[in-house]
Amino acid sequence: MSVVKRVAATPWGVYSVWWRHFQVYRSTWLVNFLPPISEPIIYLVAFGYGLTPLIGDVLYLDQTVSYPQFIAPGMIAIGVLFQSFFEGAYSSFIRLNFQKTWQALLTAPLSFTDVFLGDWLWAATKGSIAGTLTGLVAVVAGLYALPHLLLSLPLIVLGSLLFGAFGLFVAGLVRKVDQVNVPIFLVIIPMFTLCGTYFPRDTLPRVLQGIAGVLPLAALTDLLRWPMGLPTWWPFSLLWLLVATVIMARLAALRIYPKLFS
Amino acid sequence: MTTSSTPLNATLTAYDLWKCYGDSAVVQGINFVLEPGEIVGLLGPNGAGKTTTVGMLYGSVVPSRGFVQFGPWQMPVQGRQARTHMGIVTQEDNLDPDFTVFENLTHFAHHYRIWGQTARQRAGELLDLVNLQDKGKYQIDELSGGMKRRLVLARALLNHPRLVFLDEPTTGLDPDARQDFWRLVLHLKSEGCGVLLTTHYMDEAQRLCDRILLMQQGKVIDEGKPLDLIARVVGREVAEVEGIAPEKLQALADQFGVWTRPFGNATLVTLPLEQPDTLWQQIEALHPLRLARRQANLEDVFLRLTGTLLE
Repeated sequence: MSVVKRVAATPWGVYSVWWRHFQVYRSTWLVNFLPPISEPIIYLVAFGYGLTPLIGDVLYLDQTVSYPQFIAPGMIAIGVLFQSFFEGAYSSFIRLNFQKTWQALLTAPLSFTDVFLGDWLWAATKGSIAGTLTGLVAVVAGLYALPHLLLSLPLIVLGSLLFGAFGLFVAGLVRKVDQVNVPIFLVIIPMFTLCGTYFPRDTLPRVLQGIAGVLPLAALTDLLRWPMGLPTWWPFSLLWLLVATVIMARLAALRIYPKLFS
Repeated sequence: MTTSSTPLNATLTAYDLWKCYGDSAVVQGINFVLEPGEIVGLLGPNGAGKTTTVGMLYGSVVPSRGFVQFGPWQMPVQGRQARTHMGIVTQEDNLDPDFTVFENLTHFAHHYRIWGQTARQRAGELLDLVNLQDKGKYQIDELSGGMKRRLVLARALLNHPRLVFLDEPTTGLDPDARQDFWRLVLHLKSEGCGVLLTTHYMDEAQRLCDRILLMQQGKVIDEGKPLDLIARVVGREVAEVEGIAPEKLQALADQFGVWTRPFGNATLVTLPLEQPDTLWQQIEALHPLRLARRQANLEDVFLRLTGTLLE
């Protein structure tokens, strides 16, 4: 009970930590806005327009869609994945181990949970900004309808929370910043390439298809493609994202807490 | 500076604090009271358990046994509420390199629900206080070590704390910077703020502290006012003798009923309170290579109590 009280969060505390990160972001907003806008544009141009003449149309859930239309939701998912994961993993690791921002914040009237949630929500915010900006690029390119994007916002937020939590878990797990590369190569890159972002997963060999389908980016990408239709198992995909988010956040908190309180 | 809208009994009490890591107990049964306006020093060598003790006092280390009471709050359970009235200067400079000097204060004030014009005004006051008024726009890496420590102190004062923790605040600072910092600590005291200071500098402890707890291997081995402690444990004056066999000096000390101890190349001999000159003259008569007479200090106290020197 006393542990619960000690780590209890307050809305102000969480907001105040989030606000600190936002102030840093705001001071360099132009630099921060660049990657989430330029990345999807580059990908859409390179893969979309570069590969479309070779690939033509794609058959997705018995529908024929143009290749750029097919990859646009994948780009949104990738924007979410990269920005939230990297903020959670690298930036939180730096704030925890080099800048000692967490330690400084804990000398103020803030609890561990305030600081943890503030960092997590900030990682999720960055993922959501990236996902939304990518979506807007897709809207401007005529690849995703604006009303669809607005309705997809909860999915973007959920995905950002999940990958932000995964990033924080990695930040709590590794001892040296270079070790963050391990989950990047073992999890992030396979997800980025195999989860139905650039091609439908049913072209993969059966075993690989199974593995790729379980990785959470697959569920997010499938759900973000809802305007083209949803697979029959979609409620499970949604449930999987929710469960994975809760599990990952719990694991992250359990890894980081002992680094601050002994 | 320490005005508060609600009167708060800002006494800090540590009850039987223990901290164990596995089989090793790094803090063993610390008890003490810190009253408002009092500067209490935790003095001990590196590894004595000072920082762990401070951590337990403000809630960053969970005690294995015992608890801390500050005003109406019990640590660590109500750490957040207690820290509303505390200021904490940690051993490491954890200033925010993403912000300027001024922003380090205004942005941190936000965590205390101080923002906007109020935060800017408070930041200005504190920069004046710590003599960094011209450095507001500087980046953190442009500050000297002493300036950084003063800025960390300013940050710890944003909330008009009633109790300030200073964990090794002057380690690594040059003499001038240390003097500057001491001036600020005494200012806090004059404002009625309680201060808990950890240090391994005996001159700092002697100069600043109303009361000292001498720590070694996680225990408080003695405590008291600096001068009382020195007088009680060592005496008033000490002779430092070089070039005379310690056995010879021991015999002399036994004769006068005083304490002696070899240390480095020299031997320390306490001069008796009554007729110190008699012993002094007898030592002089031995024609030592070097002989010095000085006031006893906390270093001698520590040496007498533990057989070792402060690092």
